[in-house]
Amino acid sequence: MPSLNLPDDEELIRRFPSLAAPLAHPLDRRRTLKLLAAALATGTLGGCDPGTPTKKMVSAVIAPPGIVPGQPNRFATAHLLDGYASGIVVTHYMGRPTKVEGNPLHPASLGATDAFGQAAIYDFYDPDRAAAPMARGAPTDWQSIETAFETLRTHLAARHGAGAWILTGTVTSPTIGAAIDAVRARYPEARWVQWDPVSRDAVRAGAVLAYGRPVAAIPHLDRADVVLAIDSDLLESAPGHVRFGREFAARRNPARSAMSRIYAVEPTPSLIGVAGDHRFIANARDLPRILQAIADGVLHRPPPADAPDWIAPVVADLLAHRGRALVHLGPHLPAEAHALAFALNEALGARGATLGLVEPVEYAPAGQGASFADLLQGMEAGEVSALLVLDVNAAYVSPRFAAALPRVPLSFVLAPFADETAHGAAWFIPQAHDFETWGDARAFDGTASILQPQSLPLYGGRSATEVLSRCLGPTATTPLAAVRATWKAQLGDAQAWHDALADGVIPNSASRPAEVRLRPEAVRLSVQSPTASAIEVLFRPDPAVWDGRYGNNAWMQELPRPFSKIVWDNPLHVSPQMAAAHGLRNGDEVLLRMGGREARLAVWVMAGQASETAVALLGYGRTHAGETGNDVGANLYPLREVSGDVSITRTGRRVPIARTEHVDASAADPDDILRHGTLDEFNRDPHYLQQEAAGPALYRHVPPGKVAWGMSIDLNACIGCNACVVACMAENNVPVVGKDQVLRNREMHWLRIDRYYEGPSEAPLTLLQPLLCQHCEQAPCEVVCPVEATVHDEEGLNLQVYNRCIGTRFCSNNCPYKVRRFNFHDYAGLERRPAISRNPDVTARGRGVMEKCSFCVQRIAEARIAADRDGVPEQAVTACQAACPTRVFSFGNLHDEGSEVVARKHSPLNYVLLPDQNTHPRVTYEARITNPNPAIHA
Amino acid sequence: MNDAAPLFPVVAPGETQASVTDKVSALALREQAWLWWWIAFLPSLLLLIIGIGAVAYLFYDGVGVWGIDWPVMWGFALIGYVWWIAIASGGTFISALFYLLRVDWRTSLNRVAESMTLCAAACAGIYPILHLGRPWLFYWLFPYPNTMVLWPQFRSPLIWDFVALLTYIISSILFWYQGLIPDFATLRDHAGRRFHRLFYGVLSLGFRGSLKEWTHYRASYAVLAAIMAPLVVSVHSIVGLDFAGGLTVGWHSTQFPPLFVFGAALSGFAMVLLLVLPLRRLMHLEAYITERHLDVLGRLLLTCSLCLGYSYAMDAFTTYYGPDAADRTMFGTRLYGEVAWVYWGTILFNITLPQLMWFRRVRLAPWPVWVICLLVIVGMWLERYEIVITSLRRTHLPSAWGNFHVTAYDWATLAGTVGLFLTGVLLLIRIVPVISMFEMRGLVRRKP
Repeated sequence: MPSLNLPDDEELIRRFPSLAAPLAHPLDRRRTLKLLAAALATGTLGGCDPGTPTKKMVSAVIAPPGIVPGQPNRFATAHLLDGYASGIVVTHYMGRPTKVEGNPLHPASLGATDAFGQAAIYDFYDPDRAAAPMARGAPTDWQSIETAFETLRTHLAARHGAGAWILTGTVTSPTIGAAIDAVRARYPEARWVQWDPVSRDAVRAGAVLAYGRPVAAIPHLDRADVVLAIDSDLLESAPGHVRFGREFAARRNPARSAMSRIYAVEPTPSLIGVAGDHRFIANARDLPRILQAIADGVLHRPPPADAPDWIAPVVADLLAHRGRALVHLGPHLPAEAHALAFALNEALGARGATLGLVEPVEYAPAGQGASFADLLQGMEAGEVSALLVLDVNAAYVSPRFAAALPRVPLSFVLAPFADETAHGAAWFIPQAHDFETWGDARAFDGTASILQPQSLPLYGGRSATEVLSRCLGPTATTPLAAVRATWKAQLGDAQAWHDALADGVIPNSASRPAEVRLRPEAVRLSVQSPTASAIEVLFRPDPAVWDGRYGNNAWMQELPRPFSKIVWDNPLHVSPQMAAAHGLRNGDEVLLRMGGREARLAVWVMAGQASETAVALLGYGRTHAGETGNDVGANLYPLREVSGDVSITRTGRRVPIARTEHVDASAADPDDILRHGTLDEFNRDPHYLQQEAAGPALYRHVPPGKVAWGMSIDLNACIGCNACVVACMAENNVPVVGKDQVLRNREMHWLRIDRYYEGPSEAPLTLLQPLLCQHCEQAPCEVVCPVEATVHDEEGLNLQVYNRCIGTRFCSNNCPYKVRRFNFHDYAGLERRPAISRNPDVTARGRGVMEKCSFCVQRIAEARIAADRDGVPEQAVTACQAACPTRVFSFGNLHDEGSEVVARKHSPLNYVLLPDQNTHPRVTYEARITNPNPAIHA
Repeated sequence: MNDAAPLFPVVAPGETQASVTDKVSALALREQAWLWWWIAFLPSLLLLIIGIGAVAYLFYDGVGVWGIDWPVMWGFALIGYVWWIAIASGGTFISALFYLLRVDWRTSLNRVAESMTLCAAACAGIYPILHLGRPWLFYWLFPYPNTMVLWPQFRSPLIWDFVALLTYIISSILFWYQGLIPDFATLRDHAGRRFHRLFYGVLSLGFRGSLKEWTHYRASYAVLAAIMAPLVVSVHSIVGLDFAGGLTVGWHSTQFPPLFVFGAALSGFAMVLLLVLPLRRLMHLEAYITERHLDVLGRLLLTCSLCLGYSYAMDAFTTYYGPDAADRTMFGTRLYGEVAWVYWGTILFNITLPQLMWFRRVRLAPWPVWVICLLVIVGMWLERYEIVITSLRRTHLPSAWGNFHVTAYDWATLAGTVGLFLTGVLLLIRIVPVISMFEMRGLVRRKP
């Protein structure tokens, strides 16, 4: 038996600094007992009130209006990424939010979401969210926070705000903007810095260079016949990317519309580059030169002699589609490049056709990098005496900020997690989740939405408006009052307010078109290429944890990255050429040195990456993310802060990299699995990819039901954004398993997106294929299950009856598509998210049970009930289908000749996966067609 | 080249009915076990205890403690099951098939062989239950009236397998026990200690050796033998169908049932030799287990090895002759992938090495035969590794390719079954007559 070691006082104080004061004054026994009794009494009373607003509490003898047990309620709100809103509708059961869907009425959503939006539920219920305020990293009480604000107000008033700074992310919210303005009006010397770790400064500055003032550019991909995307983030993270995905896909299936042609020039694979027709691979430092050459061509100037030979046909194609062409640049290119792109678009007649220019969406557009540098300088010089940080994890991103933060005497941090910045600040205030408070925000086109609370605060956080109003006086404005005040003019009357909440959009709030003229000098701008270094390191946000804010979100951590399929890690992506030159293999640990700083991390050889490019993914190596996200991967932000020579040296160690593609299958030929061809071939014979090899059947059983559920998956539309994968996890309570289990090939995703390469790894054709249970009519899994745990219903669903399953796992062996997942351990029980966050309509599976895609059978049951009750036709939307920005999935009744799924199954591109297996799947695919320029020799 | 050689006698000259009874019953009625017995027994028991520990943790934490994964959903449990059930076949082949064929050399071997069968079948029998994700529900495989109003899925090869295995195990126990009844009666009558008289008396079920009893006994024994002989073929065919019944790459092959029967016979005879060779020496049974037996078993081993070689060749032929690209890809990984050593180990141990049995000098040399048999047993394990795991690693879709990462629990469970087998065999040879006395007496009587 280990002896009971009571820590001594020093040890206690080290662990719990807040105990320092009481331990300094020892108490006698009598006084201790008195205090204990008082604590017991007050604690008991306190337990009655979970910190909810003080209102009348009546037990629910009469059910709350609108809440019917077992029936979902849906409320519109918005999800923010770097300040920009995308409309969502949150599904509730008995008052608890369980699922996010897109808001069809919202212009940035059109009914779809991205992966981040789907994962908001996980964040909302995250048990690691901060529940208590902190002082210098140690827990404190709310009273101390009030006192601190008192001090702050005195301080601000005495100096008119001199030395006081407010640090926020990009603000599009009129209410928060107004609250900040109010603070700055009261204390005119106070300064406001907007700063996001992943900067879009160049886009802003480019617009200013081109038009003399900030404007927001809105591409219309559905109107563009030819798109030139240079290192573009149009489909993954540009504000409005969910909508752009829809517009992109509208022009990608030749069976339904005239195909657009997408050229991408990029150093590392992007969603649009992979989904497009031509991918020209170039190091980032060569992009300005390439852009210049294209501009010269378009503007009829003599092109430089050393321009790559594909530039001439691309320029010719752009010029041939005047008014239907579009050039888009990613945020990593310099401002001059963006200005030149504006000039190019004007020259191509894009403005007003494929490109709209509107008044800026941000509350106060500003160059973020420069003002953050000012703040850093001020902090380091000791000139910053008060700092209010609203949900920016600057200490994690910037080691300089982290070092200087303790020198700010009055630093207040508002954040949903007690993150790295919170631990360095004098005062930390837990932030209410967007689902817990009132707010507003604008979308990429300026359309505003009200963010309405979806739940009472789970952990009692405060909102940004409350905290800002504390700077003005002791009584805080409630967030609701602040939002209503902002929208008094438009939404003054109750009906308008109600409608705006119900719709999730505020009518006519979109930005007006900007009346600007291109400055003539924009055309003559020359773009400077950065100085050459042997290895160019690009710092990019991670596709799943973004700038690090989703670090504690297990759904995002275990989300396979679109092309590498890596999870739970951020190895350095090196090009195949660089790997060959340095003798690097996947999983080799390297020391990445840059300007005196270094990081130790594994390498991953990224096919299709430019030869001298290494991509460092940001957002990892968190130390205060929470139990899930701490110490996952390496933090590469410190290297971004410095510049200098780059070196990569092997340490000799090998590091396992968890991926959901467990064996490198890049040599395998995907020809029949993922059928693809060119538009020319398609035009010659639209059915040319349809040669089926379905053999004769001895016993062909066709499910006899009135309804026949089926799905069609359009490979032309899939961009690999992963929204469907997270949506499936959220809808179907699919557990995460953790890095060690993924390393042992045991991930649980019901829906996966397969990635195949064709061609050399230096420049492969990348092909994506969403794969889920194919719901075979002749399902091989069913006949081998000895206990009939997997059976067919008459509507054609291949059902998995969890309670019957004894775990022989023969069904998985016999599944040609390998879509079945097995609970090797009690994954659902081991998950860190609380049970109340799960979808109550879907069983959580226990240990030893097989599971797989059910076509969202719970939604089908809902449709069936509605049909029985109201006589309406059965219509169901699966979770993946609902989330997909590009409408890859089409699901419905195959007996309904008018349905979209039937129309898609009649497409000449329709084919069955592995037809020789004679499984007769209910899921079919539409083959991928690319539209390459015949003038460019691949 | 062997035809010219004289046949060795089945029993050493000079053995009488009385000497058979005396010698063999003395072995079972010994007061103290041999030293070698303890030296073998204690490590076996240790292995068994390790296995029990591994299984206890398996029940506590789930099959995730093993190396199975996606897509390799079957692993050591299935390998172990097929391996042990194949080993078990040896006893049934010898005691049932060769009983029906009235072969005289069978008499010396059938008791050891059947005891071996029993222990191997026990090892095989526990694996399917351990294999389950929810082992406590294994009885749902029985077709019994239940509250779920559900019959098992009779189209599933696993149900066929369950029925075949259960039938086989029960029949093996009955066959073994029935063969023992007259010998138990002999031991009861020869026992000096009261404990032995009681113990063997109860086991002999009141057998007194009357003419009527013998008449019934012989008739029913023949019937059981007639049931057992086809059963051993059917159980291995059905084990083959466990795989062939699936669409899985590498499994979907019509030749699997005979392939599994050949493999079973090979490993069965190898295990019989593996046990008989040391026992013959340690228990001084040279008079009953003569060179003749070694010769016969060696020839049988060689025959099975040739049959199996044919099956292996056909496996490769149909793969490359057939149209399935996934099959070819998978077979390529067998031949020259990272686990190619498994395939080539299989060929070396099961096909190449047993060719030494063509030589009479090798067949009669205990040590080389013993080593070859041991390697055959290992080779048969490798063959099942190749069928179960190598096949599953490479499926139709390259995106679902995976590998298998064996864990300590896989090995511990395997070691546990080895421990169970050895412990069982050692206990049985200690308490039951290692040679069927009444049949040996008959043999001696017929061949003075």
